[in-house]
Amino acid sequence: MSKKAILMGNEAIARGVVEAGCEVASAYPGTPSSEILPAIAKYSDELETNTQVEWGANEKVAYEIALGATFAGKRSCAVMKQVGLDVAADPFMTSANFELNGGFLVIVSDDPGCHASQTDQDCRYFAMYARIPCFDPSDAREAREMVFDAYDVSEKYKVVTMLRPTTRVDHCRQDVELGEVRKLDNPAHFERKPYAGMIHFPARLDRESIPMRNTRYSKIQEDFETAFPKYNYEVPAKGKASLGVIAAGICFSTVMDSLKSLDREDISVLKIGTPVPLPLKMVEDFIARHDKVIVFEETYPVIEMQISDRNSIMGRWNGHVPMERELTIDVIRTYLLKALGEDEASSDSIEKLQQAQKELGLFVRPPRLCPGCGHRPSYSSIRKAYPNAIVCSDIGCYSLSKQQNAIDTIISMGASITVASGMYLAHKADGIGTDRPIFATLGDSTFYHNGMTGLTTAVYNRHAFVLGIMDNSITAMTGGQDHPGTGSKMRKDEEGVIVPLEDAVKGCGVKYVKVVEAYELKNNVQVVKEAWEYAKSDEEPAVIIFRHPCLTKLKVKQEQHLVKVDQDKCVGCRYCIDFFNCPGLAFDEEKKKAYIDERFCISCGVCVEICPVGAIVPVKEDDE
Amino acid sequence: MQFIIVGIGGQGILFTSKVLGHIALKKGQKIVGSEVHGMSQRGGSVISHYKIGDYRAPLVLKGQADILLAFDQMEAFRNFDFLREGGQAIVNVHEARSFENDSLKTYLSEREIIVHKIKGYDILKKHMNGNFLFLNVLILGAMCGAGLGNVTIDEVKEAITELAPARFRDANLKVVDLGYEALIKA
Repeated sequence: MSKKAILMGNEAIARGVVEAGCEVASAYPGTPSSEILPAIAKYSDELETNTQVEWGANEKVAYEIALGATFAGKRSCAVMKQVGLDVAADPFMTSANFELNGGFLVIVSDDPGCHASQTDQDCRYFAMYARIPCFDPSDAREAREMVFDAYDVSEKYKVVTMLRPTTRVDHCRQDVELGEVRKLDNPAHFERKPYAGMIHFPARLDRESIPMRNTRYSKIQEDFETAFPKYNYEVPAKGKASLGVIAAGICFSTVMDSLKSLDREDISVLKIGTPVPLPLKMVEDFIARHDKVIVFEETYPVIEMQISDRNSIMGRWNGHVPMERELTIDVIRTYLLKALGEDEASSDSIEKLQQAQKELGLFVRPPRLCPGCGHRPSYSSIRKAYPNAIVCSDIGCYSLSKQQNAIDTIISMGASITVASGMYLAHKADGIGTDRPIFATLGDSTFYHNGMTGLTTAVYNRHAFVLGIMDNSITAMTGGQDHPGTGSKMRKDEEGVIVPLEDAVKGCGVKYVKVVEAYELKNNVQVVKEAWEYAKSDEEPAVIIFRHPCLTKLKVKQEQHLVKVDQDKCVGCRYCIDFFNCPGLAFDEEKKKAYIDERFCISCGVCVEICPVGAIVPVKEDDE
Repeated sequence: MQFIIVGIGGQGILFTSKVLGHIALKKGQKIVGSEVHGMSQRGGSVISHYKIGDYRAPLVLKGQADILLAFDQMEAFRNFDFLREGGQAIVNVHEARSFENDSLKTYLSEREIIVHKIKGYDILKKHMNGNFLFLNVLILGAMCGAGLGNVTIDEVKEAITELAPARFRDANLKVVDLGYEALIKA
């Protein structure tokens, strides 16, 4: 009997990667893909392979490391989220023009509905753009299975191959079959080939590589028409179909469960697992056999676009499928019924529930920084020092400081620094100097990811702003992964080397570097002022490293300082709620007073410094 | 059997679905579900879907869940529409007055939804020195106490023992009993 386990989609992918004989894997964490690389290490250890598994400082780095291993003939993979591929786009697009030596898989997780991302982009477009094949799994089991085929395709055509799961595949849990490792007799080998091999000069590109890539893509397209009946197949209706559905990726699973809930067997479904290149004949034959066809795929109309005559299909192009938002099971069911011209049975009771939700004051509960997080007082010290400052922020937990009205911009990894530079230059161009304080803030991992290039540019060009590095000594938002600043490697028994943050900052040419304890709010307000004065007068970036370990990774319990809100002193100004925004602080709307919500307070004691009237006070022992 | 598990990031919801899945796998059942990771784990509303049986999609359709486990009453109010007619809920209650709301009472009675309330914070304050991280096992115990989910308390205890770190074993099992007793008497 085969062995089964309940795996997260990401674990199933990792299991496939190890079983398929991948020997070098590199990644930068990013939700929803973060769990894949640690799971590769775990299964590699369990299955006793010697797979090299490492975090790269960013996705471009990770991609190129994995690519190098492929040049040396190994099966390798690079793992990232969709915006990570944006960072790695340069080597990705170029490597698509190569004939590879070993199997190379780029695993990119898209995030329909933007659960944890700044874009809703569809990386299957990237696969089309680069003219490489892409697999689109419909659940965890299939994702694992597809890894094997993706490697085989990669080696057969010597092409970069993409596995593109989406959030619901990455984070689903499912019973998945476990297999054994495929033993590959594949020692590292790199043959020198002057004037050829892995070097691209423009002339050769135009003459050889690009024609090769295009011919290869046409060949793959032809082969994919019939190569994967296990991923591309029809679930026929019973009798004459009243509707045809084309569904790819997770949408296929969702369509099948929707049909089950509707108890419908008069609808046929064409499942697509290889959207790029699309098995076009199969799709057009399906369309020809049905009066009405609707297409469900996430997040962009990639299949839809490849169909030559879209007049006969219902999809995004003509508004039959919504252009935005995740295609959840509720959405798909609704649009299926619409396509059938049928109405959803409405219920009056749901209005009662909505009424109750209104009366009970149900509020949206957005994610926010953990109670006791060091980022919160760090931002407070900036805002206390300069309420009017422009604060450019970045990608990471601290982006949640939006909830404390502390930050003004978020673009992409490292952009806090470069956008602050632009803000400075905009003011400089007006000739009005730099009277309004400008701050950039980003985390330690984000600094190593893409902060150093921006910082050297700012030093070189004399840009006046203060960079606050929110140093919790971990990649926190994605679950606590290590990075060059921690020096710990993926496998705990492998020793890495710490690249100290202060040294990295100084190495970028920064002269003013201060390291502070993030909890010391009062002191840090002064440090912030001093740093801005320095940046302004010396016309160069000043750096403050706000340090406090991430509480989710704390090894020892930190000191406790019980606090309470003195109900007589509290004036109900909501400063602590609106500008500190700790889950441990709540507001009683009837009494118009703040209070400590002991369900969440961890007694860090920092909020004592925040109250403008001193109403948050330490609890003395004889108080109780 | 379709479950919806809701709460606030940081309450340890993922472990609950892990336990349910572990038990189902042992029984040879098919499982598919969806969890929330990343940013949403940081103090925001968290929802976990879990389906046992012949399903493919990880999400539960509104109006189809058999059981709602709510670690926070506000999150229960937000998600009651997931329950089917005659569905049942275990709700961690910190402020009982809200349940007197007429619209809510009408909704629940029209849909024949049964709500089992447990004062989780009070119980953990009294017995576990206010360590609210035990809420997840408390809710699992309560679910068995209320006779929901087709799992026995022994199965839950066995799964927790196998899944949780050994140093929390005794405390975990104690809390399962606390949850069980809180609802079996009711």
